[in-house]
Amino acid sequence: MIELYHIWKQYQRPHWALSDITLKIEKGDFCFVTGPSGSGKTTLLKIIFRESFPTQGQIIIDNRNILKIPNHKIYLLRRKMGIVFQDFRLLFHKKVFDNVAIVLNILGTPRKKVRRRVFNALRMVNLHNKMWEYPSHLSYGEQQRVAIARAVVNNPDIILADEPTGNLDTELAFEIMSLFKEINRQGTTVIICTHDRELIRNFGQKILFLYKGKLLRKESL
Amino acid sequence: MAIVFFLEKDIPEDNITVIEEQLKQSDLVLKTKYISTEKAREIFQEKFPDLIAIVKNLDINPFPPSFEATLKENSITSNKVSGFIDMMQNTAGVEDVQYNQDWVERIKSFSRLAKAIGFFLGGILILASFLIISNVIKLNVFSRKDEIEILQLSGGTNMFIRIPFLAEGTILGLLGGVLSLFMLFVLIRILPIYLGSSLGVFSELISFRYLSFSQCGGVITGGAVIGFIGSLSSLSRFLKPKNIN
Repeated sequence: MIELYHIWKQYQRPHWALSDITLKIEKGDFCFVTGPSGSGKTTLLKIIFRESFPTQGQIIIDNRNILKIPNHKIYLLRRKMGIVFQDFRLLFHKKVFDNVAIVLNILGTPRKKVRRRVFNALRMVNLHNKMWEYPSHLSYGEQQRVAIARAVVNNPDIILADEPTGNLDTELAFEIMSLFKEINRQGTTVIICTHDRELIRNFGQKILFLYKGKLLRKESL
Repeated sequence: MAIVFFLEKDIPEDNITVIEEQLKQSDLVLKTKYISTEKAREIFQEKFPDLIAIVKNLDINPFPPSFEATLKENSITSNKVSGFIDMMQNTAGVEDVQYNQDWVERIKSFSRLAKAIGFFLGGILILASFLIISNVIKLNVFSRKDEIEILQLSGGTNMFIRIPFLAEGTILGLLGGVLSLFMLFVLIRILPIYLGSSLGVFSELISFRYLSFSQCGGVITGGAVIGFIGSLSSLSRFLKPKNIN
């Protein structure tokens, strides 16, 4: 479970990127964070995976205050999470297989297991036949699917996705969102930042509306 | 380097033995050679055959007996040499000493200067290699920024991220050490041939010798350590946690 208590974040005075955000995301939730550009969606995600510290407030993930985890132990928190970015952040000099395997190599997974799990992750996103290609030979949609495979390959408890369909057309966006839905069905908590209302209408379960750093309303469909 | 001790012409045999013992007991002396008056005349005749007639016309043998003491290689620049000469000069039966002290002093100061220059250049080279390796690693870290970021966000420990860069720096330093030893080897082989006779009398003083096994090990290990520290310093600046904001 992810709990945020009175989170405030200020990058530059006098503007607040986040103002007094208090919310709970239950284990297994499929949650959209939405709002216009500059409303604080990405900041919220960054705070959850502790790339950024809040100015005030507390964050509890699985009964642990993540702000009290020392820097040299933060890797333990991040191993429970899979992160998907709008710009995919793939390594273009490495093959698709190696891009996904990187997460398992960090964990010291044996080579045989790496092969099997990478293959399974890529099969889930229907890219197992392009395992030995370079990302530059793939379409945008395929590249984003590689990024999703990388995020799920170590079976994380939480998936955080920042505008994962921002660069994709509607058809591909729906395809990607179906994948997230499938991952969620297997018990993973999924938090997606998007301003695409069409997607929210079709896939929304729990929706958090942010506006100028404030949580305007929570909706559960 | 040899010192010649000229003895009194009519020195008793006992005194010659005493002087010889004194020379042999000294730590500075490698070997001694006694040259009698007769032997001295023979050497003169061999070296200056044109002057044989003059020597034959003399009623007496003008050449004094002498001891030629060859100093050990490391004794040449020792401060003990002048004390040793003073002592021998005061020994009964020793009349004169032929020894080029000015030259020894010059060689000593030249050797000190050469050492100082060596240390200075060595220091500069160590600093330069440290900076070069650290910059190479910095550029490498910079070019792999995306990969490092992905590793950090995927739960990679700092050590996991650092190891390849540290290994790279260490290998670079190690290879640098090996390469420098190889170049030194080539230089030592080529330099005496190239310089040849132009060294003249200095060829006896300057000997080109390769480093010992332990010194070679020191150069390679030193290179590896410089590489390791160089990459560590550039990494610590680049891999600071990003969650400060």
